[in-house]
Amino acid sequence: MPALIEIGTEYAAPFAEATLVTLRLTAVSLVLAVVIGLVIALFKLSRNRVLNLIANAYIGVIRGLPLIVQLMFLYFGIVQIVRLSSFWAGSLALAVHAGAYVAEIFRGSIQSIDHGQTEAARSLGMSKAKTYRLIVLPQAFRRAIPPLGNQFIIGLKDSSLVAYLGVQELFGAALSAQAENFQPFETYLVAGMYYLVLVLIFSVLVNRLERGLSKGKREAAPA
Amino acid sequence: MSIVSVRGLHKRFGDLEVLKGVDLDIEQGEVVVIIGPSGSGKSTLLRCLNFLEYPDEGEVWLRGRQVDPAADDLDKVREHIGMVFQHFNLFPHMNVLHNVTVAPVNVKGMERKDANAIARDLLDKVGLADKEKEFPSRLSGGQKQRVAIARALAMDPDIMMFDEATSALDPELVGEVLGVIQDLAEGGMTMVLVTHEMGFAREVADRVIMMDDGYIIEEAAPAELFEHPAEERTQRFLSQVF
Repeated sequence: MPALIEIGTEYAAPFAEATLVTLRLTAVSLVLAVVIGLVIALFKLSRNRVLNLIANAYIGVIRGLPLIVQLMFLYFGIVQIVRLSSFWAGSLALAVHAGAYVAEIFRGSIQSIDHGQTEAARSLGMSKAKTYRLIVLPQAFRRAIPPLGNQFIIGLKDSSLVAYLGVQELFGAALSAQAENFQPFETYLVAGMYYLVLVLIFSVLVNRLERGLSKGKREAAPA
Repeated sequence: MSIVSVRGLHKRFGDLEVLKGVDLDIEQGEVVVIIGPSGSGKSTLLRCLNFLEYPDEGEVWLRGRQVDPAADDLDKVREHIGMVFQHFNLFPHMNVLHNVTVAPVNVKGMERKDANAIARDLLDKVGLADKEKEFPSRLSGGQKQRVAIARALAMDPDIMMFDEATSALDPELVGEVLGVIQDLAEGGMTMVLVTHEMGFAREVADRVIMMDDGYIIEEAAPAELFEHPAEERTQRFLSQVF
């Protein structure tokens, strides 16, 4: 126990800095993942066979490979073509990975919107694009929040693997620290507590958001 | 000139032929009620008029112009045809006022101020002036359907179509919706209604059309059709309903 406190205080500064890197990494990758996920979900729902094929191939490959393999593959692959910092290479790889899962979340939530909504919008003269933008997507986003929150928590934890690209995020900082102090058990325990606190804070935020949106009771009651 | 004309309309869903050659003309200011057993093709006929379903064969003419679904902008066509659905299909993420204004603003490009004024006027007409800030989930079925009527009217359509607009309502709420439809009829709106409310059909219709098995089998003024149906199938249907 004293060793834990000692490590906690000794590495407070580098761990705090590393926490910020973890948060930046997570934020950047998840924002990109939402964009990728929305595009792939729309591809998958499109009537265009080629777009369907692209979406299915993307989701199939990404879901079928371990994240660490994708990270290494993308890192060494991308870095050969363009010069990227390991932070950005890691962010991109995490985004490409989470994007596949976010795509399936969006596809499900879009499909869950009653077809009567689309018919009503089209009957008023709205184009397909306007129907999506004004009627279907706003409702689908709302329904996607609980599973998206879940995916974001997974993304936060997955960002630890980017340490193997040399990024000094939380897990990377722990790797370095334990190599220095020869107390891996205590050091990883401290790092674990950092992750746990981050996830708990995030869960509370997602819950608040969910409650805030359902307070207006804006979702349609089942007919 | 008819507002809507249909010639030789056929519609198939897979192996099932739902419309087997329908001809119909609806004149300006006319109120046409379509009756018939379920599965007779009534709703499909309405949905073919605004191309929510694409007819497999036949012609649809609107205001003297034939609609070509391959070449025409169907969004423009639908702007002029108001539709009211059995399950209301209000937009649950928008309040009542926004439900009514979303199409005029985003389809017609109307200024929000003008759209709001029109919407408030229509909500007043359907007796919901005090509900403009409410969300649909807080309204009764009858209120929802009246908002849906106002929403369709806000596009200033040439014709209003009602697809079993009162079938999903609790019995005590049917009257308030029928009252609004009656007001519209008296105001000269061209309308086509699919309904099971025979008493109302008799009161409001200029012409009643009986459909069965994908065909129009009989049409006449309401008094005549309800009192002296010519076809045996119409007699049988009416005796089951009354």
